[in-house]
Amino acid sequence: MRASAQEDPVAVEPESARAITIKRVYDAPARLLFEAYSKPVHIMRWFGPVGWPVTLCEMDFREGGKFRFAMTGPSGKQNTPFGGTYREIVKDRKIVYDNGFESKDAGRMVVTVSFDEQDGQTTLTVHTVFQSIAMYRSHTSRGFEQGTNSGLDQLADLAAELQRNGA
Amino acid sequence: MSRAEAAENLDRVFAALSDPTRRAILARLAEGEATVNELVEPFGFSQPTISKHLKVLEGAGLVARGRSAQFRPVRLNAAPLGKAAEWLGNYEQFWAESLDRLEDYVKVLQQKEKRHAGKRPGGSRGR
Repeated sequence: MRASAQEDPVAVEPESARAITIKRVYDAPARLLFEAYSKPVHIMRWFGPVGWPVTLCEMDFREGGKFRFAMTGPSGKQNTPFGGTYREIVKDRKIVYDNGFESKDAGRMVVTVSFDEQDGQTTLTVHTVFQSIAMYRSHTSRGFEQGTNSGLDQLADLAAELQRNGA
Repeated sequence: MSRAEAAENLDRVFAALSDPTRRAILARLAEGEATVNELVEPFGFSQPTISKHLKVLEGAGLVARGRSAQFRPVRLNAAPLGKAAEWLGNYEQFWAESLDRLEDYVKVLQQKEKRHAGKRPGGSRGR
C-alpha cells in the first residue's frame, strides 16, 4: 500500500502545477521574523488562523529535527496533529521543512520559508509544494470551484456546530 | 484508500458543502434524522430538488439513508467533516491569517528588543 516516492506516479507531476507561493512584507528585520519561527513560545503566539490556537507545539529546531503541532478549533476539540522534519535551516534567511497531517492518506508537502531583508523591510515568502496536484487542489481555493471565503467561513461555523453537537 | 482517492473524497465533501441549501440540510440533520418529506417543508423546494441535493450529500458520505423502505429517513454522517475541518478556511487563508498575526507579534518582539536595548549596561539600569 505504501509506495515510495520513486514508485509513486503523482510524485512526477510538474512542480509548478502543485505549488503555491504566499508573500508578505514586514517592517521588521529578518532576524526577528526568523526568531518568531524558531521557538514554541513564539509559534504559539501567531501560528494558525484566528480562533485556532496552537495547543500542541513540540519542535527540535535544527536540520534533521522534528516538529509536531496541533491546533484547537472553536469546538474546543484538539484537531489532528501535523508535523514533519526541518530539512534545511539558514539562520535569518531560510527554513525548509516537510509537513503533513498525522492521518491516513493525508499526503505531504514541502514548505520553504524565505526571509529577504532590504532597507529595514523583510519580504517573507512561504513556498509550498504539495505532493500531488490532487492534494494541491483539495487544499487551495483552486480546488473549490464555487467556493468563496465567506462560504468557507460558514462551513467553519457549521462544522464547529456539528462537532459541538457530537454528531 | 489511495491518496488520490482520499483527495477526491475531500473534493466531493467540499463541493457538497459549497451549496447553502445543502449546508442548511446538514444543519437540520444535526438536530436529528428526517424523512425527505420533512426536509421538503422547511426549505420550500420540490421533492425532486431536495432528493438531488441529498444525492450529492450521500455521494460525499455526509448523509446516510435508512433501510426502512417506506420512509427511508436521512441521517447525518459527520465523519467526513473531520477531514474537511483539517483544512477549513483553506491553505491561503490559513497563511493570510497566520501572517497577519505574525505582523502583530513581530511588533511585540520589536518593542521588547527596544526595552532591552534601553536596559543595557551603561543605560538607565541598576542604580
